Amino acid sequence: MKVIVDLDLCQGHSVCAGECPEVFAVEEHADGYSKVKLLLEHPPEGLRAQVQAAAKYCPNRVIRVED
Amino acid sequence: MTPTTVQRKPIPQVSGAKPGGGHLEEYQANQPKFMMRCRQECGDLAEYRLMDQPYVLMSGPDAQEAFCRAPDEVLGQAAAYTAMVPVFGKGVLFDTPLDVLKQQLRIQVDAVRYQNMKEYATVIANEVRDFTSQWADSGTLEMVDEFLRLTLYTSTSCLLGVDFRRRMSAEFSRLYRDLEHAVIAIAFIDPYLPLPEFAARDRARARLGEMLEEIVNQRRASDQEYHDALNTFMTGTYDDGRPLSPHEITGLLIATMFAGHHTSSGAATWTLVELLRHPECLRTVRDELQEVFKDGGAVSQHAMRAMPKLESFIREVLRLHPPLVTLIRVVEQDFEYKDHVIPKGYRVVMSPAVAHLIADVFPEPWRFDMNRPEPEHLFAWIAFGGGRHKCAGNAFAILQLKAIFATLLRRFDFELVDPPESYTEDHTGMTVKPKAPMQVRYRARPVTVPNT
Repeated sequence: MKVIVDLDLCQGHSVCAGECPEVFAVEEHADGYSKVKLLLEHPPEGLRAQVQAAAKYCPNRVIRVED
Repeated sequence: MTPTTVQRKPIPQVSGAKPGGGHLEEYQANQPKFMMRCRQECGDLAEYRLMDQPYVLMSGPDAQEAFCRAPDEVLGQAAAYTAMVPVFGKGVLFDTPLDVLKQQLRIQVDAVRYQNMKEYATVIANEVRDFTSQWADSGTLEMVDEFLRLTLYTSTSCLLGVDFRRRMSAEFSRLYRDLEHAVIAIAFIDPYLPLPEFAARDRARARLGEMLEEIVNQRRASDQEYHDALNTFMTGTYDDGRPLSPHEITGLLIATMFAGHHTSSGAATWTLVELLRHPECLRTVRDELQEVFKDGGAVSQHAMRAMPKLESFIREVLRLHPPLVTLIRVVEQDFEYKDHVIPKGYRVVMSPAVAHLIADVFPEPWRFDMNRPEPEHLFAWIAFGGGRHKCAGNAFAILQLKAIFATLLRRFDFELVDPPESYTEDHTGMTVKPKAPMQVRYRARPVTVPNT
């Protein structure tokens, strides 16, 4: 599983960090809004459900999950 | 690539410009209709003119994506918001240099972060319950006004806290109204003219500043914990660690309230009307509610999440009734799109009203269909705009609508008083809104007992 984030779209809502803190953190960013920081680009299979929930509930559709 | 090798294509021009005003008359008569004509005649890029100012409508998913992704240095927001400067206050948001604006927007977004949202679902559900407890067992209501009042309460509770909301005075509502009444067409030309509306606005802004400063001071002196937007703004800091001033806190609160109030109340009104126009959808939504709350659970953020049917319904409402007809940016540097260059000094426009009626993206666009598949292109459905300045309150807005209807539909039955097709939009003001009066009849449902 591979996680891709589109930083252009991120406003730092932090839903992802709430759903799956192992993979997503949100931190201050030079360009205004806080933004997501990907902690694991290839998370272990055991986190699939949480990662998918993060992608699904992201208000700005920042996160994409590929196999 | 050298400039000589690039073949620039001219931007298609919308017909019918008149000497002097350009397309102003047609634009003012019916903005969405004019915008649709621009797209039909010219395609993805359509140039028109209001007085001396050239505009380019960018429509179609790709053009909308280019609009949404452009950096602030290329497409600026500030000049489109001059009318709001005296409402929000000097030195707040669009009246600041770009780097300060970005920091204030960051703090503003923090108010609708995940951590706060959990509190909001409960706060909203309580407000709806209190609000409807004033209703009789049955009767007739004018919903445009009802939802304007309800959403003023919910936003005040979420922004300023439940304790403030409980003490909310008639004075606060009146001051807020004075601010709203100053956002008139002429304010977008010169918001400092000696008009009575503007004088009332300036008095209201000053008094609101005093009221909020008092609350800020009370809170700083107490050790109670809060989870509302005011708390977020009081604890937020600029990059150098400096906190917001009380004046800036007031400005951000007003700006947040303005962003969410009419838009949400209009969406709530249309959600109710469309539910009553489509009884089969209403049944589907009610079945889902029954399933979610069958064990009598609370209207929580978690419960709100598990309602895909109601959410699809709301998204279809927002497709056909987007609260904003146009979003405007100022071209700060020549802006390239495909084979075209939109010159510096132009304004570019994106229109949810146009985007949502493109038949290639939404087949039979006028038909209300809650089962419509979500378009693949991320920038096809743009009720909240998109990209870097997408409405930061988008998740809050959906959560609020779900919480309102999860509560209303379980407590009451509704029916339209007038013929369904007589409920329409009002395009005469600065923003589009449901045309009052919108009458509905309501009747309290028998008290539902879990598990029966």
